[in-house]
Amino acid sequence: MKKLMTIYIALLMACMSIAQSPSELWNRANQAYSEGRYEDAATDYAAIIQEAPIITRAYSPVYYNLGNARFKQGELSQAILAYERCLRLKPTDKNAKYNLQFAQSRIIDNIADTQVFFLRQWLTTFRNMLPLGVWMWSSIILFSLMLICLLLFAFSRSIGVRKAGFYVSIVCLVCSVICFSNAASLQHRDTARAEAIITRGIVNAKASPDRSGTELFTLHEGTKVTIHEVLGGYANIEVGNYNGWIPVNTLERI
Amino acid sequence: MIGNMRRLTYILTAVCLFPLLGVGILRADEVQFRAQAPAQVIVGRPFQLAYVVNQRAKDIRPPEFKDFDYIAGPYTSSSSSTSFVNGRRTSSFQMTYTYTLMAQKEGTFTIPPATVTISGEQYTSNGVKITVLPEDQPQQSNSGSGQAAQRSGSQQSAQSAQSGPEQGNIFMRTIVSKTKVYEQEAISLSYKVYVAGVDLKQFTNNTTLPDFTSFLQQKIDLQDIQLELENYNGRNYQTATIYSTLLYPQKSGDIQIEPASFEAVLLVPNQARSRSIFDDFFNSYTTATRTLRAPGATIHVAPLPAGKPASYAGGVGKFTMDSKISATDVKANEAITLTLTIRGAGNMKLLKTPGVEWPEGFEQYDPKVTNNFKTSTGGMSGTRTIEYLAIPRAAGEYTLPAVEFGYFDTEKGQYQVLRTPEYTLHIARGAGDQAAAGSQPSAVSYVNKEDIRELGSDIRYISAANFVPAEENEVPVVVFGSWQMYLLYGCPLVVALLLFVLFRKRIRENADIIGTRKRQANSVARKRLKKAKTLMAEQKKEPFFEEIERASLQYLSDRLAIPTADLNKDSITSTLRSKAIDESLIERTNRVLSDAAFARYAPAMGIQPEQLYEQTESLINDLEDCKL
Repeated sequence: MKKLMTIYIALLMACMSIAQSPSELWNRANQAYSEGRYEDAATDYAAIIQEAPIITRAYSPVYYNLGNARFKQGELSQAILAYERCLRLKPTDKNAKYNLQFAQSRIIDNIADTQVFFLRQWLTTFRNMLPLGVWMWSSIILFSLMLICLLLFAFSRSIGVRKAGFYVSIVCLVCSVICFSNAASLQHRDTARAEAIITRGIVNAKASPDRSGTELFTLHEGTKVTIHEVLGGYANIEVGNYNGWIPVNTLERI
Repeated sequence: MIGNMRRLTYILTAVCLFPLLGVGILRADEVQFRAQAPAQVIVGRPFQLAYVVNQRAKDIRPPEFKDFDYIAGPYTSSSSSTSFVNGRRTSSFQMTYTYTLMAQKEGTFTIPPATVTISGEQYTSNGVKITVLPEDQPQQSNSGSGQAAQRSGSQQSAQSAQSGPEQGNIFMRTIVSKTKVYEQEAISLSYKVYVAGVDLKQFTNNTTLPDFTSFLQQKIDLQDIQLELENYNGRNYQTATIYSTLLYPQKSGDIQIEPASFEAVLLVPNQARSRSIFDDFFNSYTTATRTLRAPGATIHVAPLPAGKPASYAGGVGKFTMDSKISATDVKANEAITLTLTIRGAGNMKLLKTPGVEWPEGFEQYDPKVTNNFKTSTGGMSGTRTIEYLAIPRAAGEYTLPAVEFGYFDTEKGQYQVLRTPEYTLHIARGAGDQAAAGSQPSAVSYVNKEDIRELGSDIRYISAANFVPAEENEVPVVVFGSWQMYLLYGCPLVVALLLFVLFRKRIRENADIIGTRKRQANSVARKRLKKAKTLMAEQKKEPFFEEIERASLQYLSDRLAIPTADLNKDSITSTLRSKAIDESLIERTNRVLSDAAFARYAPAMGIQPEQLYEQTESLINDLEDCKL
């Protein structure tokens, strides 16, 4: 009887916790974090994200706090994953950037991106500076601006206005195209979800997607890799200038 | 009169000083009344109990000797001595009452105090504790095994080389206080010599001691070797501890202590008797050396258990700790001293100084350690006083965290942690602060600039802002790649295209005004000039001048993109100037225009048509070459 009672209470509490609103969960998780109960905090943050109907920019602090809780628990790869996801939603978050860097300084693998052409790296950094929506809206606004300038050029009698309209419209068009390409690139990154974090402590990359493949190199927890393709439980990944196959279950896509 | 006064003063001084002198004398003659007796006696052997008093006394009343047989006494003797040292006289007097007693049975007994009367007052002596040892038991005749036992160096039984109580016997024992200890727990080891029936003259320096490896050794100073009677294995011996040391095991396990050897010098009566008559009176002795072996020992050292507290300072034993702080309310730049006193018994010398975590902004100095240790066969005990000095450099309220001192308690067999209280320090602004620096600017206004010091690194704290989850209506309508997005591009484009189509006439006009007319200016002007030439040939002066003026004006209007309505001499001149045209060319333009106008409206001026035609043609040619 007593056992039944406890089970009933446990179920009731479970139901209550499910029924809690995201704001309540958030406050409870923050409280748990401040008291050092990082595991409880992480569970609650994860619950907020799981119950969200759609993940928007508003959820970036949840990922950030989840990352902190995971870091304090010692789960480095989960922390990095959460920070990366936070930065996906809000690339300008300085605290998330700092903590991500801090967490990355703790991982074992030191992948030097020496082979990436510097211009490409700059472009990637530039692209990641703003979120997808901002790039898209900038592109649309710049496109409209270009049309307005063209109309000015076409209909104005004043030579100065016509000239200005002409040049500004060209600049607007170029900028609009740049914004559009950045947005498209981000869209591709987000839909392809090609970037992933190694979640297993240590994993050996093989030359072919099967168990008998020659072992090529070793990766450790928390390292960021790019997935090229997935074949029969193995993912073809690239990191730095290494390329190999590792089991899919040792990765988690950002 | 004056002499009387002086005498009076002397007398007064003497009267005043006399009580002081009297006190001094009395104190020097304090009565001392002591009982003296050997600490150990043997049953059936008489011994002497003496009462010594340092003043003439009478009527001594001895206590009741109930555990002892009274044999004789009191024998009274007295002695006195006087000596002058550097003109100072000291005298001493001593009176001794001696009783001869004999113990009846073995055990430990106390003789109660005696009383004596000195100049009418009663004084009481101290009591005396006497241990009564049994009589020598007749030795069993196992001389051979005794020999063997001595040679084997067994700790417990080491017996005489010769059997029989009257035979001489000398041997050493190794006495270890404990054989089962923890690491770092002190044990005392001493070598004791047992002598019976032989004359031990001295020990030579030829001593071999074990080298106590895996121990930290601390020798105990034996001020003077005291002889004691001890009944050992049924026989009474004169014993003396000749070497004593404290040992602190430095590793765990069974540690073997090697046997030690001492060389003793014995007095042996001469065996070869001469026939001299004096031999009976003066026994002749010779000395003989003999090596005495003290047996070894095994110490079982248990390692300290796991689970050392973080503040463990290496102490093993039993300790207490007190703390004292000099002040908790000081001004900046005034020193604060925290004094820790660790009191106890154990390996005091090996204690590490506990660390004090002064708050940031406190300049700290090396702690000063004062030791007051006492070493005895029971171990080392005493106090260690540690003074921590720190100087706060900035005002504010600080907390000095509790200082912890962890040690291993050998009695309880577990670790203990002692803590000082936490101190709250109020630091007020001090003399060296900037606020007070006005009076001596050169001396104290210097401020040390410091870079921010990084003390540690950690992730930044969680975001604690209110979290508002995205509502349905906040979800973006336009998603990249959706038709809505393309609509946002398409709509303005369609609107723009519509505008272009609707107002294409205006566009064309705009395009004519600027582009085409400019391009066609020259050819238009040439056509008009050609027409003017034919008119000139036909001698039609009026239309000729009209055509020339039109040609030049039309050309300038087209070329300079000046609308016809705005076309006049001034606008042309200013436009040409703004395009940085050569001043002479501008002058020529003006002359052509004015000549044409004059020729047309004032024919009396007599302007030649040929000349004007040439001027106009060359002007248009030159302007065509200019970049307009």
